[in-house]
Amino acid sequence: MEAIMSKNLKLNVNGKGYDVEVGTNETLLRVLHEKIGLTGAKIGCESGECGACTVLIDGEPRLSCLTLAVDCEGKKIETIEGLADFESSKLHPIQEAFIENFGFQCGYCTPGFIMVAKAFLDKTRGREFTDEEICEAIAGNLCRCADYISITQSIRAAAEKMRK
Amino acid sequence: MAEFKWIGKSIPQKESKEKVTGSAKFVADMRADLYAKVLRSPYPHAMIKNIDVTKAEKLPGVIATLTYKDVPKRLVPRSSARPCFVLDKHLRYVGDDVAGVAAISEEIAEAALDLIEVEYEVLPAIFNAKEATKEHVPKLYPEGNVWGPVDNKLADKGLQEPTILSWGDIEKGFKEADVIIEDEFLVNPQIHSPLEPHVCIAKWERGQLTLWVSTQTKSEIVDSLSYTFEMPLSKIRVITPYVGGGFGSKYIERYVPLTALLSKKAEGRSVKLLFTREEEQCHTKRAGQDLYVKMGAKKDGTITAIYFRSYFDIGAYGSGVSGSCLFWEEAPVLAYQYENARFEAWDVHTNTSSASPMRSVQVPGATFAIEQVIEGVAEKLGMSPTEIREVNMSETGDMAPPKPYTNSNIEYPRAGLDAYPSKKLLHEVMEEAQWKEKWKGWAKPVASSGSKRRGIGIAYAQGWGGFNFDGYMAMAVSMYPDGSLTVLSGSQDLGTGSNTTLSMLAAEFLGLDLSEVNVVSGDTSNGAFDYYEARSSRTAIISGHLMLQAIQEAKNKICTLAAPKLGAEPEGLDLKEKKVFIKETPGESIPLSSILTAPVFGSASGPQGSAFPEIEPGVKTKNPLVAAAEVEVDIETGEVEVIKLVPGTCPGRMINPGMVIGQCRGGAVVGLGMALYENFNFDVKENVWISRNFLDYKLPTAKEIPEIKLVILEAVTERLPQVGAPYGARGTGEWGVALIVPAIANAIYNATGIRMKRCPMLSEVVLDTLTKGGK
Repeated sequence: MEAIMSKNLKLNVNGKGYDVEVGTNETLLRVLHEKIGLTGAKIGCESGECGACTVLIDGEPRLSCLTLAVDCEGKKIETIEGLADFESSKLHPIQEAFIENFGFQCGYCTPGFIMVAKAFLDKTRGREFTDEEICEAIAGNLCRCADYISITQSIRAAAEKMRK
Repeated sequence: MAEFKWIGKSIPQKESKEKVTGSAKFVADMRADLYAKVLRSPYPHAMIKNIDVTKAEKLPGVIATLTYKDVPKRLVPRSSARPCFVLDKHLRYVGDDVAGVAAISEEIAEAALDLIEVEYEVLPAIFNAKEATKEHVPKLYPEGNVWGPVDNKLADKGLQEPTILSWGDIEKGFKEADVIIEDEFLVNPQIHSPLEPHVCIAKWERGQLTLWVSTQTKSEIVDSLSYTFEMPLSKIRVITPYVGGGFGSKYIERYVPLTALLSKKAEGRSVKLLFTREEEQCHTKRAGQDLYVKMGAKKDGTITAIYFRSYFDIGAYGSGVSGSCLFWEEAPVLAYQYENARFEAWDVHTNTSSASPMRSVQVPGATFAIEQVIEGVAEKLGMSPTEIREVNMSETGDMAPPKPYTNSNIEYPRAGLDAYPSKKLLHEVMEEAQWKEKWKGWAKPVASSGSKRRGIGIAYAQGWGGFNFDGYMAMAVSMYPDGSLTVLSGSQDLGTGSNTTLSMLAAEFLGLDLSEVNVVSGDTSNGAFDYYEARSSRTAIISGHLMLQAIQEAKNKICTLAAPKLGAEPEGLDLKEKKVFIKETPGESIPLSSILTAPVFGSASGPQGSAFPEIEPGVKTKNPLVAAAEVEVDIETGEVEVIKLVPGTCPGRMINPGMVIGQCRGGAVVGLGMALYENFNFDVKENVWISRNFLDYKLPTAKEIPEIKLVILEAVTERLPQVGAPYGARGTGEWGVALIVPAIANAIYNATGIRMKRCPMLSEVVLDTLTKGGK
């Protein structure tokens, strides 16, 4: 094995600061799982093909399995765990919409879809959008339970909720 | 129609909040003391001549290694068609398990694999199932490559025969036919591709083994490993909190005992083995098929005989149920009232990944052949696609199988079909698909424009109803003094929401609020058991049935306790809404809380060994399936665009429509992937898996989804809820997949006049077939 450099990092995840020592080759996904204890971003392919590990970095959907943790310093990382308020157990409107519209079955790909949906809905806030735009936004996320129609319906319903 | 408190309401899964907030911990999310990696065979067929792990074991951080020399000399039942050892020196596909390593990190375990020295004797390999049945070809097993008949005790001894289900006399049937059509088809395997890869954490403690596994079949793992490790059933505990998709791939497999043995060698430290995506895509599949179908019919369309033969590529190991579970509980061979029939399934080993059942099992491949051949018959007779099906399709009360039959598979009684409105379903699908307006005749496109041809197609089959193997399971309930209920279930919630469905059934039966029912599953230490567990669309149905029986037993006990207090006979009492009341004068009641000071248990299991019970004597439950597809084919490029899918199903009575819809629609998308996109691909020259990732094995995404209009036809024979399938519900989960492939193939024929012989119908396959005129 080649020697891997490690580095002390300050990561901002869901508004909280974390001091972590990470190898320079470690992905954000693995650091979230193994050093910060946040497992909402899922290990699906670890090669950028399935979208299950999607998080938001400075508001943009990013594949945490292809993102090096050392590149995330100074950036705002949002994961699925940051969406709902734990104390009040109040869900984000997107989460409510996914539940009400049966937008998942096994739930493994769901955090990725919800994070992509959040970026999409934040960006399209205040304007109309088509179903094609939703499909384009989530085209990088795979669901093998495969009822994509309920997922697009959930995102549309979430937009309605967020408008209110 | 009966009034219900819960049944028929769309209620989201109980685990919804956990799933949308990321707090649901899947096994892949869990940590362990040590991490395992598996050295995998670079050859499709080889024998390990020497293996040396000395250098690997010296790598700092490596705690344990495992080779075939270290494993018990006892087989792992049901991990494969022919039971195998945990590791073997005989390697049968690229990716087969050579050795395991456990280390303090995945990186170290991975690095240690490179230090294992292996000398291989490379053997000639075979990749084609039909070829593999021949005499002078490479053999994966000394007794030969054919495994069968399925579920026949002789199969373990290597009887080289197909599984056969037959009735009547097909020779006579073909003689009586006015028209005979025969054809051959090839269906590529499909890869399950759950988003959560296979994963297991094992902790071997003194005299007890605990396993956290992403699995559909915890009880089967307990049963199997109890044999392999010579441990009592009660000392193996399997925990499955959530399953990130299984689709038929997550049964007992050898990687589970492999991980357990690494934990044992590591003196009880927990060991986690998580498959990489490449490992996931290269180790299992829906069996490929090489099919031949011959069908004869009289002028009036009556089918006089069918001969169906398929070579199922079950790969290196197959699974406990393998390819010809096509016949398992008869689907889809009973779709039509064939006068004479012979269905012949050859389960054949090849040097590729192992087949296990997948959502709709072998029905999509079988119907790709049967549903195209029946159309060939109809065309020759001058009948329409829908007419010939109407003439032959089974209906309510028809016997299944239609004639006394012989079967080298599991025996099950002939019985009449319960609430089976196949023709009504056909008509409703036709209406939704605008069949009468669009179907203009054989090979007459719906519309043409430039190189684009639009076509419409239809298909029909029969699915099983999920009422099976009650003799291999046990459920229990605990009814508390406050009237609330805990259900101890052995049946895994695969992510389909079956625990929510069970809660709804119990709450309906007892007049409770949903929040008052707690289903405890996902852990075999609850004492419940379900050997067949989360497969064949059965959890809500058969687990629901036994749960209601268990509740009934608890009710009976409580009514006996309440009888003196109410001054009535126990038989004259009933329990609902937390009260025991006199049936004739329901106003006379006492609350449960004044009867019980401790919970009362009820339990149920089917008769020992019962595999295919009738829902009442002489009656069985099946699910008629019809699907239509409208496509646009570009005859210059071969590209097929699906415009609309209309999958139709008859789920008896829907318990939770929201979930039924999700299952059916999701299933249709998996069928779409199998029909058009998903290309299982192993390069036999380079010994490399091409379909090892999601770039080279394309799953449908949101962008490929056509309009999908479901037709869900409810049909129920009213019975007491605890008698037969609960409230008339029927297995439905997997059937959305079943007919998309043949419906699309028939639509392509309507558009182009050319029959599709190969699946997936990739654009290059379609173009090639069109160019060669269907040859």
